[in-house]
Amino acid sequence: MPAKKRTVRIGNWYKSDDEKVHFIRKRKAPRPSKLRKIVPGQVLILLSGRFQGKRVVFLKQLKSGLLLVTGPFKINGVPLKRVNSAYVIPTSTKVDVTGVNATQIDDDYFKRTQAQRRKNEQGFWAKRGELTAEQQATEKTRLEGKRNTQKSVDAALITAIKKTQLLKQYLGARFTIGKTTRPHELVF
Amino acid sequence: MVLTKFVEVGRVVKINYGPQEGRLATIVEILNDKRVLIDGPTTGVQRQVIPIRRLTLTKFNLKGATRGARTGVITKAIKKSDPFAQYAQTLAAKKVAKKVLRAKLNDFDRFRVMILRKRRSALLSTQLKTLKKSTGGKAQAQAKGGNKKK
Repeated sequence: MPAKKRTVRIGNWYKSDDEKVHFIRKRKAPRPSKLRKIVPGQVLILLSGRFQGKRVVFLKQLKSGLLLVTGPFKINGVPLKRVNSAYVIPTSTKVDVTGVNATQIDDDYFKRTQAQRRKNEQGFWAKRGELTAEQQATEKTRLEGKRNTQKSVDAALITAIKKTQLLKQYLGARFTIGKTTRPHELVF
Repeated sequence: MVLTKFVEVGRVVKINYGPQEGRLATIVEILNDKRVLIDGPTTGVQRQVIPIRRLTLTKFNLKGATRGARTGVITKAIKKSDPFAQYAQTLAAKKVAKKVLRAKLNDFDRFRVMILRKRRSALLSTQLKTLKKSTGGKAQAQAKGGNKKK
């Protein structure tokens, strides 16, 4: 039997013990997580964050894998928002979203702007977080644009929601657990 | 105390233990003091021997059931007079049905029930108040109002 050829190259550089290797993310692009049977128009219950317990309407899954949801804002104060599907309970209630146009909203919509990060371009002595007049103006127009997008997306939704009795109140209420509720027995 | 429910051929029984728990069947044959042969072709109970301990006797009887009758005969007798439908009208059966329905409610249904209950109690309390006023406040007002719900 011929001797096994050595296929591993032994280099002449060995790492020292104190050299810490940072975690290098091999996958650069985010992989969208597989949606577990969540359908556009479905009412979801948010489980964490500022809006925990709120019932929101699911619009679509973004490229990053996060779910795009909206309150609608007028009904329960939840804006267009990205949400991790792991922190969500899908209910069996569905809203008709055929008139809703959320195609132009993607992950870039939620990207933080320079002004948001309060990058200070005025120099060392300027107060931290203060925006220049130009930055303030762009911020204003940006927020106006966001408000308009919110309104346009919600308009069709709200008309669809109004068709079902008590659905508006349902979305306005929070999901709570009392002393006698058994979450593992609840049907959502 | 006079005994009215007997273990007899044709007695409608409810199975209260085992994989068939909650289903109805009829007694077809009595084997000994502890076991009977039951059959429930319309309620999904296979013809089987079962200890009486696992049964609850109902007050209904299947007319036309003879001792040792085969499943076909039993089915014919049920078609003529359905005691299972009569049982479904009883309070006990309705309570069970209510429980089953409540377990199936989804989140939106539960919300609606809560709102309707609140509305009903509000209606009842206003009715009660007006009745109390009109009868001088002493009467035991039986206020009836609101809509029936789950």
